Amino acid sequence: MNEQEQKVLGAINAIKHGPKSLRLYMDLCAKCGTCAQVCPVYYGKQDPKYNPANRSDLIRKLYRRHNTLAGKLLGGLAGAQGFDQAEFEEWKDIFYSCTTCRRCAQFCPFGIDNSVITRKARTILDSLGRTPARLQKVVATSLEKYNTDGASPEAFKEAIAFIVEEMREEHGTDIRIPVDVVGAEYMYLPPSGDALVNIEATMGVAKAFHVLGLGDRWTMSSRCFDGANYGLFTGNDAHMKAANKECVDEAKRLGVKVLLMGECGHAHRVMKRMMESAKWWGTLPFEIVNCMEWTAAHIQAGRLQFDKTRNPQPVTYHDPCNFAKSCNIIEAPRVILRATCMDFREMTPHGAANWCCGGGGGLAAMNEIREFRVTVSGKKKREQIRATGADYVATACANCKRQLGELIEHHGDKVTVCGVHDMLSRAILIDGKAADRKQYD
Amino acid sequence: MGSTAFLVTRILPYLALGSFLLGVAYRLLGWWRVPQPTLMTLYPTEGSGWKPLVKEALFFPSLFRGDKTLWWFAWLFHVALALALLGHLRVVTGLIDRMLAALGLGPDALATLSSVAGGLAGIVLIAAVLLLLGRRALVRRVREISAAPDFLALFLLVAVITTGDLMRFGGAHVDLATTRAWASSLLTWSPAAALPAPVLLHLFCAELLVFYLAFSKLMHFGGFFFTFSLVKRSAP
Repeated sequence: MNEQEQKVLGAINAIKHGPKSLRLYMDLCAKCGTCAQVCPVYYGKQDPKYNPANRSDLIRKLYRRHNTLAGKLLGGLAGAQGFDQAEFEEWKDIFYSCTTCRRCAQFCPFGIDNSVITRKARTILDSLGRTPARLQKVVATSLEKYNTDGASPEAFKEAIAFIVEEMREEHGTDIRIPVDVVGAEYMYLPPSGDALVNIEATMGVAKAFHVLGLGDRWTMSSRCFDGANYGLFTGNDAHMKAANKECVDEAKRLGVKVLLMGECGHAHRVMKRMMESAKWWGTLPFEIVNCMEWTAAHIQAGRLQFDKTRNPQPVTYHDPCNFAKSCNIIEAPRVILRATCMDFREMTPHGAANWCCGGGGGLAAMNEIREFRVTVSGKKKREQIRATGADYVATACANCKRQLGELIEHHGDKVTVCGVHDMLSRAILIDGKAADRKQYD
Repeated sequence: MGSTAFLVTRILPYLALGSFLLGVAYRLLGWWRVPQPTLMTLYPTEGSGWKPLVKEALFFPSLFRGDKTLWWFAWLFHVALALALLGHLRVVTGLIDRMLAALGLGPDALATLSSVAGGLAGIVLIAAVLLLLGRRALVRRVREISAAPDFLALFLLVAVITTGDLMRFGGAHVDLATTRAWASSLLTWSPAAALPAPVLLHLFCAELLVFYLAFSKLMHFGGFFFTFSLVKRSAP
């Protein structure tokens, strides 16, 4: 047995000791095929290697071979099989063709969450240096520069100055974005793209603070302006925790009371559902709230007013899986979009049952599988968007935005991708009037 | 008594039931013990407490949303299975008959109930399990994930159900007094009259299935409660 095989089997044998979910998934699957029926990837292409039960079986049969009495005695008759080098060579492609959207878990009669098995396989691949090069690079950049774009604090400050200048032109008044303010009440932590590239979401948040009279009570950090955490995708817990700790420590250093997470589903999930609930860093001196929940609450309290005619086109909303399925943030973006757009339309299905964009689990960042994403994993999403007849598809996740953008571009559809607070930024009334908006698309 | 009959009626019952009880206890305990460090709640949840678990276990609503055809096969199969298991209590003990008699059910009414409910269960069971088998063999997304254990489980079920149905519909009269005497002899380690051949055959198939249960995916009847709780119950 070579070292590689030893490492793979060692990690798989460890499943015996938990987590509980994974151990049960090794034992239970009835192979009923319901997961394939509801999987966005298998919908895109009915290839056995995209069948979720088959993908998970790559791990399951190794586990059964070495950790169950039936597998040891009966082998294949008990669904067990030993390590196969040729098959292992395919792991990278196969486990990076699962978007970890968790849709299978919603319909599986036993609630088996295949994304947990996918992540375990990715953990093994990562420990052997087999994570796709592009994702390795993103993680390395993020650990070194504290953001996935590799931008410096200076570049960030320039981008913020630009956003502030834009808002002054739009509204003829100063709308602040405080940076590195110790003692601020809120720290806003978006995905870095929302500060550097797709700036309208950050404009929307800044304008909401301004209207609420909180313009000097919030801050962004020039050190930590990216909530994205690719350790979740590569399965590397040490990386995930290291990147997370930087943000948490920064929020502590600034002494904020609220960590306001931006429009980034997996960032919110890691922060709220994983770090906070599992107490990675003990009890926190701040609360974790998503900006969409925060804004929606202020809208419902009647504190923000809008001119909907600024967004006359039909708009639909794509639920990022991490927000809807893992964090239960489903209604808040709709409150914002209904308040700011004249013609909001739902996809079928939507909310937690929504179909993945096809770029989840880090796939959106992988240029080398663009063809797969726009023709296979995103196929269902494209059909859903087209069925609404919407001109805009709003979503709250940098990865979804990238994937949807490429999907639409590839097929030449006449649809524009945007963020949720983008629509708010265009319609919000400041001193009684909405922005004289420039074209940012 | 021949050596085969001896094996089937005097040895295998203990082995099958023993392996089943020990195996199930071993696996449930194993699942119970391993830790779950991360919260993995999947929304929308079904609330907390036992209600959502019972609802899912009785009506399979997740499967209903995911695959309606399979839901019909699976749900009817499990309901008929529960009915058949209940009916089989009468095979091994007279207690049920006496309880029903106390409730005013005469021997004739009991026989009618038995043939209607039991007959129905027998038909639904064989139909459902054959449909499940056909689905596994013919539907592409299911066929491509099917391997030996998946067919083995179904073949065992077909064998048990067919031999059972042959007794009910094949005209072979099975005297309940004989089977009850056999069952109580197992408890008291005393000899009993031989069982007729159709019963032996059915019993043998059932023993294989029961022996196999704890080592197979059929353990979903126990594991389901753990996995479902992990994803669909509200966080405490």
